[in-house]
Amino acid sequence: MKKGLTLFLISCLLCVAQVTYAAKSWKIIPEKSKLTFTAIQNNSPVTGQFKNFTGDIAFDPKDLNGSHVNIVIDMKSVTTSYGTVADTLKTPEWFDVNKYPQALFAADYIVEDAKAGHNAYMASGKLTIRDKTVPIVVHFVLDQYSDKLAHVKGDTEFARTKFNVGTGEWAKTDAIKDNVKVEFDITAMS
Amino acid sequence: MRIKNSSERYGVIAIFLHWIMALLVLTMIPLGLIMVELPNSAQKLKLFGLHKELGVLILALIIVRLSWRIINWVPALPMYMPSWEKLAARAVHLAFYFFLFAMPITGWMMSSAAGLPVSFFGLFVLPDIVPANENLQNFFANVHETFAYILIALICLHVAAAFRHYFKYHDDVLKRMIEP
Repeated sequence: MKKGLTLFLISCLLCVAQVTYAAKSWKIIPEKSKLTFTAIQNNSPVTGQFKNFTGDIAFDPKDLNGSHVNIVIDMKSVTTSYGTVADTLKTPEWFDVNKYPQALFAADYIVEDAKAGHNAYMASGKLTIRDKTVPIVVHFVLDQYSDKLAHVKGDTEFARTKFNVGTGEWAKTDAIKDNVKVEFDITAMS
Repeated sequence: MRIKNSSERYGVIAIFLHWIMALLVLTMIPLGLIMVELPNSAQKLKLFGLHKELGVLILALIIVRLSWRIINWVPALPMYMPSWEKLAARAVHLAFYFFLFAMPITGWMMSSAAGLPVSFFGLFVLPDIVPANENLQNFFANVHETFAYILIALICLHVAAAFRHYFKYHDDVLKRMIEP
C-alpha cells in the first residue's frame, strides 16, 4: 500500500515536471491554415496544396527550449489547379502516396532569427518524405500571439531529389527543377 | 533590295515574316498533335514547354506582321482573277491573321487556367490572364483544338491556291512571295 502511494506520488511529480518543461501546446485550425508548395516546370512556377495536415505544436516565445513542432502531412490530400499534376504527384515516381501516405516534419530546435527581423524564428528539424529523412531549416514569423490564438507564416526550400521525389526520368532536373519551395500559413489555438 | 511592299511586289520584310511564320506554324501543328497523344512523361512535359514558348514567339511575330501590313501596301491580286477568287484569297488571309492571334491567346488562356504559366525560354514568365480553374482550362483547350483544325484546313486552301496560281495561271503570285 505504502509502495503504491509512493509510486503514485512519483508519477504526479513526473507529470508536473512534464508540464513545466513543455511549452504551451497549440492546435492547428484547419480552415485557417494552408500548406502550399511551388516547383518550377518548364521555367515557370507551378503550385499546389496539401489540404490535410495535423500537428503537435508546443510553442512559447519565452520558452524556446521547451518548444517543438511535429507536423504530419496527408500526402493523398495533394491538390493542384490542373488535376493531372496532382494525379501525377500521387504516382510511385513522385510521392507514392499508397506506399508512403504521410510526410513528417519534426523540429525541436527553435531559435530566434534576429537577422530576419522582429518575431522571426527558425526551426531546425527533420523532414521525412517517402522513406528519406533529411535535415532542413524552416523560417517563420510569428504574426500574432496571444493566450488563445497564434498565427505564423513561414517557408523552407529543399531539393526534391534528396527525397527521391521524382524518380526515373523525372530525377533529371531540366523539365522540373530540383529546388522546391514550401510555404505555410498556420493559425492555431491554445 | 526592296524592303517595303509596293502595289505589286512584296518586300523582304513581308517575305521573311511570311516564311518564318509558315515554318513556325508547320512546326507547331504536328508538335501539338503529337504531344497531346503522348503518355505522361518528362518528354511530354518538355514538348508542352516548347509548344508554349514557340506560341509566344508566334504571338510576338503576328503583332509585328500585322503592324507591317497596316503601314504597307498589300500587293494587288492579278486582274484576271474572278472576283470570288479574290474574295476567297482575301478572306483566307484575314482568317490567318485572326487565327494567328487566336491560337497563341487561347493557348495562353488554357495554360493560365491550368495553373501552368507560360515561360519564354526561361527569360520571363507571362502573367496569368484567366484564373486557375479546371472547367475554364477544358473550355479553352477545346477552343484551341477546334481552331487548330480550322487553321489546318485554311493552310490547305492557301497552299492549294498558291499552286493553282503557279501551275494553272502561270502567274507570279507564288513567286512574288519568294523573290522580293
